Amino acid sequence: MKTLVILLSLSIAGCVTVRPQQRAVLADPIMQFEGDPQANAQLRHAIDNREGSYGGGGVAGGGCGCN
Amino acid sequence: MATALVLSSTSARAQVVQFDTAHTLYHESPTRSNMTVYTPGVDLAVTPADWITVRAGYEADIVSGASVATKAGPAYQAVNPGADVITTASVHDVRHAPRGGLTLRKGDVAYTFVYNYGTENDYKSQSIFASARTEAYEHNTQLEISYARNFDLVCDRVQAVNDRPPRFRALEDSNGCFTGSDPTRTRHPLSIDGLQGSWTQAWTPTFATQLLYTAQIVDGFQSSPYRSVIIAQGLKAQEHHPENRARQAIAARANLYVRPLKLAIRITGRAYHDTWDITSGTGEAEVEKYLFEGFRVAARGRYYRQSGALFWSDDYTGGNPPLGPKGQYWTGDRELSPFSSLGIGLRLTYNIQPEPKPGGGTGRFLGIFAGLKLGASADAMQFYYSEYTLAGEELGNARAYILGLNLSALF
Repeated sequence: MKTLVILLSLSIAGCVTVRPQQRAVLADPIMQFEGDPQANAQLRHAIDNREGSYGGGGVAGGGCGCN
Repeated sequence: MATALVLSSTSARAQVVQFDTAHTLYHESPTRSNMTVYTPGVDLAVTPADWITVRAGYEADIVSGASVATKAGPAYQAVNPGADVITTASVHDVRHAPRGGLTLRKGDVAYTFVYNYGTENDYKSQSIFASARTEAYEHNTQLEISYARNFDLVCDRVQAVNDRPPRFRALEDSNGCFTGSDPTRTRHPLSIDGLQGSWTQAWTPTFATQLLYTAQIVDGFQSSPYRSVIIAQGLKAQEHHPENRARQAIAARANLYVRPLKLAIRITGRAYHDTWDITSGTGEAEVEKYLFEGFRVAARGRYYRQSGALFWSDDYTGGNPPLGPKGQYWTGDRELSPFSSLGIGLRLTYNIQPEPKPGGGTGRFLGIFAGLKLGASADAMQFYYSEYTLAGEELGNARAYILGLNLSALF
């Protein structure tokens, strides 16, 4: 928790930066949080319809399809 | 990897049209029911200038199976031995959902607007979505806030004027739901307001995190109109849920690239709570690795656990706690019962990035593609219901299989 607070403070102050020439790995598809948005949304849609929870992944709606 | 990134960056700048298609097949066949849902989707995005992207898409849910139409618990079954009190009904429906939107960019800020329309035999949906995203600290920090609003309509059976919920009867089928020709059909409104904020942060050249918060307010008819619950001896009533539900979730995700092993590790944790008193926790882990240039394989695992809704009971007719009536609401929905699930999956992704032209500019694969990505996934989920039964019979084989295929092409 202490480490998180320190990292957060440094980030907000703009002290923690990854320079553009250091971003090769971060920009690679393997490091994307939503690499395949459409496929991820469909998987989430299927799982959401079988659970009582929702959220933490996206807020777009568009119907039920959940018989 | 650096070469691939340069190519990716080059093609992204030259990108004019992006086509995406994804297909998901969901199947489960637990005791007394089964469900197969095929979900195809296509999206087309055109970026005529750096400051604007216009999108159009379509998705469908083709649903086929049999679901539980009348739910009873062990106490009722014990009083009525020999009677088969659980009934099922076949389900066949298609949800069509076209959508369209655009993204506008100015500097480090992007605004996205999307409109969704959904129609199926017993449900209509319209939703608007708006988001704003910005970057700061040399692109190391991304902040996004979004809002979505659904204006939905749910078909139901017209109930007798003097009847109250314990006497309500379930909808038999979806015939005449939105044709206006059947006087025994009515429509209930359902509105959904959703707000989400996210903060994505790059901490080091190989480590990034994301924090998400989602809030949602649901107002309107939220029961399954087709499902009945036996709530007393000789009394079967349509499922009756509260009309209001406020839901909140917070999720934290971390991505770490391990250079010596050349693989990425993703960890996600999510906590959820709503005013129906469902509390849940989700943990996900994924490991992804390049096997060769452009080809990645990922293995993932997921654990989920939730408590039951405040008004959940496996048998409203009586019995020892936790059975018995739970106030003015009742449900036969197993997704509102306490349960846990365990999922494992595998995903394969292949990126084809053409060589750039010798004189500069974007190269083309097969003469037309500026980039091509293929993906395939397979997941299996096992559900463990701690209280839900079908008249005392535990739900066996509660296992779901999910297959996915997707393709993205840049022109």
